[in-house]
Amino acid sequence: MWVALGPVGDMPCLLTLQMECEAERRPLGVFECQLCALTAPYSYVGQQPPGAQSVALLEESYVMRDPFTPNKDRFLILGSRCSVCGRLVCVGPVGKPRAAGAAFPLSPWLGPHDCSFFYSKRFCLPCVRENIDAFPQEIQQDLEKREVPSKRPASQPGSRT
Amino acid sequence: MPPPRTWEGRGPRDRPPAPSQEEDPEKWDWNCPETRRLFEDAFFGDEDYIRQGSEECQKFWTFFERLQRFQNLKTTRKEEKDSRHPKHSIPALADLPRAYDPRYRINLSVLGPDARRSRGLGRRLAPERVSEFRQALLHYLDFGQKQAFGRLAKLQRERMALPIAQYGDRILQTLKEHQVVVVAGDTGCGKSTQVPQYLLAAGFSHVACTQPRRIACISLAKRVGFESLSQYGSQVGYQIRFESTRSAATKIVFLTVGLLLRQIQREPRLPQYQVLIVDEVHERHLHNDFLLGILRRLLPQRPDLKVILMSATINISLFSSYFGSAPVVQVPGRLFPITVVYQPQEAEPTTSKSEKLDPRPFLRVLEAIDNKYPPEERGDLLVFLSGMAEISAVLEAAQTYASHTQRWAVLPLHSALSVADQDKVFDVAPPGVRKCILSTNIAETSVTIDGIRFVVDSGKVKEMSYDPQAKLQRLQEFWISQASAEQRKGRAGRTGPGVCFRLYAESDYDAFAPYPVPEIRRVALDALVLQMKGMSVGDPRTFPFIEPPPPTSLETAICYLRDQGALDSSEALTPIGSLLAQLPVDVVIGKMLILGSMFHLAEPVLTIAAALSVQSPFTRGAQSNPECVAARRPLESDQGDPFTLFNVFNTWVQVKSERSRNSRRWCRHRGIEEHRLYEMANLRRQFKELLEDHGLLARAQASKPGDSYSRLRQRRERQALYQLKRQHEQGQGRRRKVLRLQEDQDGCSSDEDRGGAASQGGGDNVDIQDVKFKLRHNLEQLQAAASSAQALTRDQMALLKLVLGRGLYPQLAIPDPFNSGRKDSDQIFHTKTKQGAVLHPTCIFANSPEVLHTQEQEARGSDGSRDDKDKMSSRHQLLAFVSLLETNKPYLVNCVRIPALQSLLLFSRSLDTNGDCCRLVADGWLELQLVDSESAVRLLAASLRLRAHWESALDRQLAHQARWRMEDKDDEETDPVNRKEVAALSRELLQFTASKVSYSLRRLTGLEIQNLYVGPQTITAAPSLPGLFGCSTPSPHPTKGGYAVTDFLTYSCLTSDADLYSDCLRTFWTCPHCDLHMPFTPLERIAHESTCPEAPQDGPPGAEEAAPEPLQKASALQRPYHCEACQKDFLFTPTEVLRHRRQHV
Repeated sequence: MWVALGPVGDMPCLLTLQMECEAERRPLGVFECQLCALTAPYSYVGQQPPGAQSVALLEESYVMRDPFTPNKDRFLILGSRCSVCGRLVCVGPVGKPRAAGAAFPLSPWLGPHDCSFFYSKRFCLPCVRENIDAFPQEIQQDLEKREVPSKRPASQPGSRT
Repeated sequence: MPPPRTWEGRGPRDRPPAPSQEEDPEKWDWNCPETRRLFEDAFFGDEDYIRQGSEECQKFWTFFERLQRFQNLKTTRKEEKDSRHPKHSIPALADLPRAYDPRYRINLSVLGPDARRSRGLGRRLAPERVSEFRQALLHYLDFGQKQAFGRLAKLQRERMALPIAQYGDRILQTLKEHQVVVVAGDTGCGKSTQVPQYLLAAGFSHVACTQPRRIACISLAKRVGFESLSQYGSQVGYQIRFESTRSAATKIVFLTVGLLLRQIQREPRLPQYQVLIVDEVHERHLHNDFLLGILRRLLPQRPDLKVILMSATINISLFSSYFGSAPVVQVPGRLFPITVVYQPQEAEPTTSKSEKLDPRPFLRVLEAIDNKYPPEERGDLLVFLSGMAEISAVLEAAQTYASHTQRWAVLPLHSALSVADQDKVFDVAPPGVRKCILSTNIAETSVTIDGIRFVVDSGKVKEMSYDPQAKLQRLQEFWISQASAEQRKGRAGRTGPGVCFRLYAESDYDAFAPYPVPEIRRVALDALVLQMKGMSVGDPRTFPFIEPPPPTSLETAICYLRDQGALDSSEALTPIGSLLAQLPVDVVIGKMLILGSMFHLAEPVLTIAAALSVQSPFTRGAQSNPECVAARRPLESDQGDPFTLFNVFNTWVQVKSERSRNSRRWCRHRGIEEHRLYEMANLRRQFKELLEDHGLLARAQASKPGDSYSRLRQRRERQALYQLKRQHEQGQGRRRKVLRLQEDQDGCSSDEDRGGAASQGGGDNVDIQDVKFKLRHNLEQLQAAASSAQALTRDQMALLKLVLGRGLYPQLAIPDPFNSGRKDSDQIFHTKTKQGAVLHPTCIFANSPEVLHTQEQEARGSDGSRDDKDKMSSRHQLLAFVSLLETNKPYLVNCVRIPALQSLLLFSRSLDTNGDCCRLVADGWLELQLVDSESAVRLLAASLRLRAHWESALDRQLAHQARWRMEDKDDEETDPVNRKEVAALSRELLQFTASKVSYSLRRLTGLEIQNLYVGPQTITAAPSLPGLFGCSTPSPHPTKGGYAVTDFLTYSCLTSDADLYSDCLRTFWTCPHCDLHMPFTPLERIAHESTCPEAPQDGPPGAEEAAPEPLQKASALQRPYHCEACQKDFLFTPTEVLRHRRQHV
């Protein structure tokens, strides 16, 4: 289980806890996106990830500890169920949030993980496409834009020794 | 992620004081620190996602500023048109918010300040500002989520794109069906990083993956940890000689082959592992070959153990068939096409072979690249050269060329460079400039540099070869193998299509050997044989190696180990041998450690042993820098290099403990590579633990500072260090820098300073090596050892030299008799097997050779007939050396000077005498002529007695050690050999080494060696000395003639004109111990002395156990004196005897 560290003000505690937590933080299972097959171990399912009291999730999410930071309280949302078809999908694409747009140096990772997006609820892309009219125009435009970009250039010419 | 920016530019000085919250929105200022603090107080508390004052908090505000700017741009067109839609039939879609707002796309929410019991802060903040802030916070969190998820997705995509990804299932499936699987794949196929992860994903949890190099263990563990999303977890770890990140939770461990072999030694069935991955088997390292042999035997006993051999696609069938045609999964590599250009060098007129390498062919390639490829087409050049001399030859020429064209940054790369300089090859060249990296074969497999587009292959490599006859290591230049040539070529095609220029003909290539010579065929096998004996794998000659070593190498190794006393005559481990087999160190070093701990000299010996086991810390360039040379001088010891290193290490420890942060500069100033000193410290600690583990050294009492205050202070210091280390690790260590072209043209002289300044100026000022050092070592303990080292008495020093001498024996060299007439740099030395060896330029005796010369005024008794080289002196010295390395000349490495006569008497495996014992031959190559027979016999007798004592003390020490290992190790007796006894032995040894006898010393010629012995005698009757030799009577020596007195001493076997009757010539003699006065032959005299009941035995009973008393300078008049009254032995002049006797009156 994931252990909430609670108020740990003392340094030595932190050091030992760091070790102990490793052993205790067993993943609950492996999350696998039913669309793109992205897999990752998750350690929590729900809306209130441990260690982050002031943040709540607006959907039942599969969550892991953020593997890219040493900070134990950081979580990473992997995915959740599509509110139309119930498929378990990852949170990709992580395309540009419209409010922020070009001001943010987000690399566009379109491609294999183009699986769902969130608009007050989680929708997998197949369901969105099927019911595109139900979404506001901004979403529709966004989706169109996303469909257009061509496949990334194949970076694998024939191998030869 | 945008780099964290500080907002000092908009700091408080430019700002009016904090606006009161009621002010009108126009004057609202988000940049005001006061405002920000209010929000931070409300939202970034201790339990919040972002904490006040953290780096994350700064990042947030940077993000916030950008968001503000962006939204200001957008506000004008942010008028929502209300689009009306009919309600959707699907419930999930029915209640979607119609009016679009980006915030609906965020699946997070943040508690407002009211929900946070926030001490009325909510009231002081205008609600619209709060909502603005919360929106921004939401976007920030969402941004972080997307970024992290993006990395996760990218990681998976990259893993999926690796060639091996499609073979994962097949590998697992094959492993299910077979015990051994060979995975063959070329560079870049991803086998080293992916296969462990496939195993992890398949549920294996006890996986070991061996690597030939330590550095690979660390980098792979990091990479695999990162890819398997447990970068900050502990399921992936590494274990190398000095470091381990392994814990109970570790599922995959990367470790060196050597370490795994040690684990097998402890637990032959390797119960701790389910799967063993042996990586890089094709490199055919000695240990890897041995491991394969061990595994082949182990597998039938461990049917549950799975083994994966990973190899490049060379010689796969060898490995497969060795394991009973194990299945092979072959994975294509990922290489871009590479054009090969053969540019054989025309036979240019070369005057001699030893001439410097001609750099012109290399420059022509630089030119060709400049002409053919526009500078904006990036891509660097990697040049493979055979060695450092070749690198510097090309470096010089290439830098001249580069300073003309301004299009090249030329960088050397070899293992003797400082770490900082090695790292420079990873820096980026400025636009329009290419890196030209001149490398040894280190870049063939060990170091991978991205961005290489061109490769120049000289086709040569310098490799250590081993001459088992001369026991000599040779660094020789060879043609490379086809496999190496392909590997070198492949380096050009890692990031894009490339070109490989081969400076040899295609026909040369065809003539190359297909594979490199396996290490087992070209190195000394002493350590391997010892380890094999220690692991009881049976006779090394019949061990099923994948390819057997040359029989002569094995025989030499066995013979050497027998000489060193590690194996007995039946090739079984002796007690000292079995201890040595457990120490993962060179036999010589191991012997020093054992002997040192016996004489209570463990601390200094630990340092010296560590210093002799790492590469020399002296940087090459510094030798020509007079400042460095001058700064080093006070550290030099005229006793020899081990003592100089000893001083360097001790002084460095002092520097570290006194003015902590300056040690880096201290080293640079003296031309010392600090990294090597860190290695020494690590090794020293490891040696110490070994000695403690084996009961040779009392475990240090955890020295707890007495009062709670200093304990607290210590803990605080450590915490601070841990924090520094963590911060450094989070900062990802060294970042790539852009090479500055101009600087790189001005040669290497300022290299060191620049490197140091750059790495210090690079943002964090933390010397991470220093931090790690302080975390790993108890600096106070080290410092105590260092300062006690500086207080070593003369006696301790002399004992230390004896320990070194005995450890290093038989690696001895004799100075050439004409050295005193030669220039400093031309001093030559001879070993038993190699004539004309020279000293390494850093060696102390190369700079002050006079300490080795026998003083002229000492010369006496040289009769006219004698040549100058047969000078009589009591101060002849020999050099004991750690290794003999042949490059262009044979070099003696790490020398210490030792007194010749005494050392030979104490250490020789074979001592032969003539009839009156005036002429001695040690180990069949060094001849000693003593002036008078009496002192010769006296010394010989003393040496026999001392050797016997020393052996028995050592035996008891080892026996105790063996007992200690058997029993539970609670036995607190830390002094296996009686302290008194050791003190007495030390005293006697010191007396012995201080004895002054004039003698001449020379190396025998080949002809003399052939005619050395009288040979078996038919008529000689055994000397009739019943009882005087104890139970054993000297037997005639079967080959040499004369009589074998002990296993090393043969009396009267040397041919000589004067010898005919000498063994029956008796002269009157008085025994100094029992006052027996009668005519003796020299042999009878020795026999009597060694059995004389009055002679000092194992230290007189009741002797004080004080440390050896400082001896006065021995004078020629001193004689051993045994005082009946106080039961003590002394070395007294006649007047001293009288003075002493008076005490008892």
